Amino acid sequence: MKIIVTIKQVPEANKVAVNPKTGTLIREGVESILNPFCEYALDMAVKLKTQNPDLKVEIIVISMGPPQAKSALIRCLELGADRAYLLSDRAFAGSDVWATALTLKEGILKKIGNFDLILAGKQAIDGDTAQVPAELAEDLGIPHIYYGFDIKINNKKINVKKETEKGYKVVETRLPALVTISKGPSTIPRLPSMKDMIEARKKPLEIINAKSLNMDENRIGLNGSFTQVFKIFSPPTKEAGEIIDGNDSINAAKKLFMFLKEKKIV
Amino acid sequence: MKNVSSNIINSEKVAIKISFNDIRSIHGKTKILTDYPTYLMDESKLNGAAEWLFFPKSEAEIVSILDFLQKNKIRTYVSAARTGIVGACVPTSGSVLSLEKMNKIIGFGFDKNQNYYFIRVEPGVTLNEINDKLIKKELDNIPELTPDAIKNFKEIKDSFHYPVDPTEMSATIGGTVATNASGARTLKYGPTREWIKGLKVLLSSGDILNIQRGECFASKEGRFIIKKSNGGKLQFKIPHYIFNTSVKNAAGIYSKPNMDLIDLFIGSEGILGIITQIDIWIIKKKPFISNVLFFNSEESSISFVESIRNNRIISPEFIEFFSCEALNLMKNVQNKDPGSINMPQIPIDAKAAIFFDVPYSEEKIDIIFSKINKITKKCNTNLSNSWSGYENREITRLKHFRHALPENVNAIIATRKLQFPQLHKLGTDICVPEKCFRNMMEYYHTVLRNANLDYVIFGHIGENHVHVNILPKNMEELRLGEKIYEKFAKKAVEYGGSISAEHGIGKIKTDYLKIMYSQKDLDEMRLIKKSLDPLLVLNYGNIVNFDVETE
Repeated sequence: MKIIVTIKQVPEANKVAVNPKTGTLIREGVESILNPFCEYALDMAVKLKTQNPDLKVEIIVISMGPPQAKSALIRCLELGADRAYLLSDRAFAGSDVWATALTLKEGILKKIGNFDLILAGKQAIDGDTAQVPAELAEDLGIPHIYYGFDIKINNKKINVKKETEKGYKVVETRLPALVTISKGPSTIPRLPSMKDMIEARKKPLEIINAKSLNMDENRIGLNGSFTQVFKIFSPPTKEAGEIIDGNDSINAAKKLFMFLKEKKIV
Repeated sequence: MKNVSSNIINSEKVAIKISFNDIRSIHGKTKILTDYPTYLMDESKLNGAAEWLFFPKSEAEIVSILDFLQKNKIRTYVSAARTGIVGACVPTSGSVLSLEKMNKIIGFGFDKNQNYYFIRVEPGVTLNEINDKLIKKELDNIPELTPDAIKNFKEIKDSFHYPVDPTEMSATIGGTVATNASGARTLKYGPTREWIKGLKVLLSSGDILNIQRGECFASKEGRFIIKKSNGGKLQFKIPHYIFNTSVKNAAGIYSKPNMDLIDLFIGSEGILGIITQIDIWIIKKKPFISNVLFFNSEESSISFVESIRNNRIISPEFIEFFSCEALNLMKNVQNKDPGSINMPQIPIDAKAAIFFDVPYSEEKIDIIFSKINKITKKCNTNLSNSWSGYENREITRLKHFRHALPENVNAIIATRKLQFPQLHKLGTDICVPEKCFRNMMEYYHTVLRNANLDYVIFGHIGENHVHVNILPKNMEELRLGEKIYEKFAKKAVEYGGSISAEHGIGKIKTDYLKIMYSQKDLDEMRLIKKSLDPLLVLNYGNIVNFDVETE
């Protein structure tokens, strides 16, 4: 059984600030990491592999990104992936979600071929669009389930527990399919051992350029993108609200009235 | 002008005069106790009292305060971030001089002789602030002390940092110079002393010494001469003993033949002068991989340390230790609440753990880990029996795991304190020479097991410096523990070690200093204190006690 995990390298988001003058991200001293939701997806793949030894699961990770994104793939190999592909070329630069999904599709079909399941993080913590996995599934013509947090493999089908606003529901689909993962199977993130570190670097990791995917140049990168980032800005900071203690109802009502009066609402 | 390589130094005078009334101060014992209680203690939880609390913003303000204090015979205790654990900044009476408002970065330059960049700071800047500015290279509007230093610095792609890491990065640079702070990374980078290029020290007389390393050395007879700004001369002699640097040591006043004047003030716990400006060297930040390796016996873990410590391929930045007792405590915590320490399951059969960092580069990972692999085989473990990480968040996780041990020890003591309010943990800070380390460890275990006391051992095994924490369950066990503590101190000195490798002496460990130094040595420390601070205004009671003299 082949499980593909699509991953993205992102800046450690809690440390990134926006330069208010230029509207660009301040990346000085900020590390690039494997998107945490992608790590959950990988954890899910590893869990399925461990739970189903008879299925002989192979975990393949794939990403599109600049050459330095290789380190995120190495991280996946340390954490249990079996091989990795990085789609990296200047021609891919500026891809929006549409072009990214198409490029990943070509990478998967031309380099990996048949597969049973694709797992993806529910969103990347930098762009936060959450659109690439669904578009990829549509491009590949397979069903997709969003916000999964538990998967059971049943013959050629899977049962996925997916988060809903009120709890969860179980959805069944045939394979091949794509599932985005919202929460990892373990609450405590794993840590590789020194042995995993060495082994990871012996596993196959292939870097693929645009030419070898043989895609029309109008369908990739900036040319193939329908959307462009116009501006990046920090959302305006809101002042903290005031909570009125309701135990003393008379005073609370007085306080609320004074507040509304002050704001000229009453 | 300074004399190059002589034992004479000229002092400077503060030109600006500031009226005492213009300086921010708090007056009144009760007011300080109620509104500013944190200024009366440090992490040792030793409590003090003070009549005055000052917040000077400049040298001129300190001079004015010192003038007031000496006229009114009031002592003062210099206060930084109060992260120390021997009560060195805790006032016993008089006043607190907080340097927290002197917290600016005031210069940046390149030191041609050492081939290092250096940064000039006021004492109240925290280590976190320094490193944050350096990593982000935020140095705008800071005066350049050598031509184009900042411009050239910004053009270098690498990140830089100040490499001393005393665990508490919220400590101020001034506090760490006064205590010669060290920490886990001292194994590779040495203590604070080795990173200090220059100091400005304000004496209680109001004279300022601008000391640059390598310019003023003790004469053959051990004498220094300070030419005072009023034309007078101040002569004093350094102690005759040689400060033990063969082990990690923070006990007593530094002294050695022909020593640099700057080293006298570093680690003197504020009793000789007030540090008002510091030049520190900084270096390129090297990426590293943090690892924890588990062993099935303590002996094997010590063998592992001995094999990697001086290995040039592995070149560890630090080597830390958790004993079996420490791991058991952490396993208990993990069983009760796995989320609280946020780590994978600690191997059930682990009897010791070694934490160590190795340099990280993709090209060398295989060579380094293959070397470690060979060593682990001789130490009855293997590379699978480990955790490893190099991303910041992973490194932070491993660091938190290390810190979670002393935090959990403190939590246990806090619970026991409910029943016995006077109870506290007993934490040793003992370092011994390498050849005696195994014997010392055996001694610790034998004595503590025979006494049937709860304890854990952890810390800087790379430098043969581990902390034994005794956790008494009642007052009887506390008193027993205190006797054992003294036994350990005596044994360490017998082996040629130090009773305080990094925590310093402060007010809490002065009795143990007597085990390490003779009466004559201590008298010489007192003499030097009296020469530089005749009215004993500064940080009275740190390192040496003067009450003894009058007894």
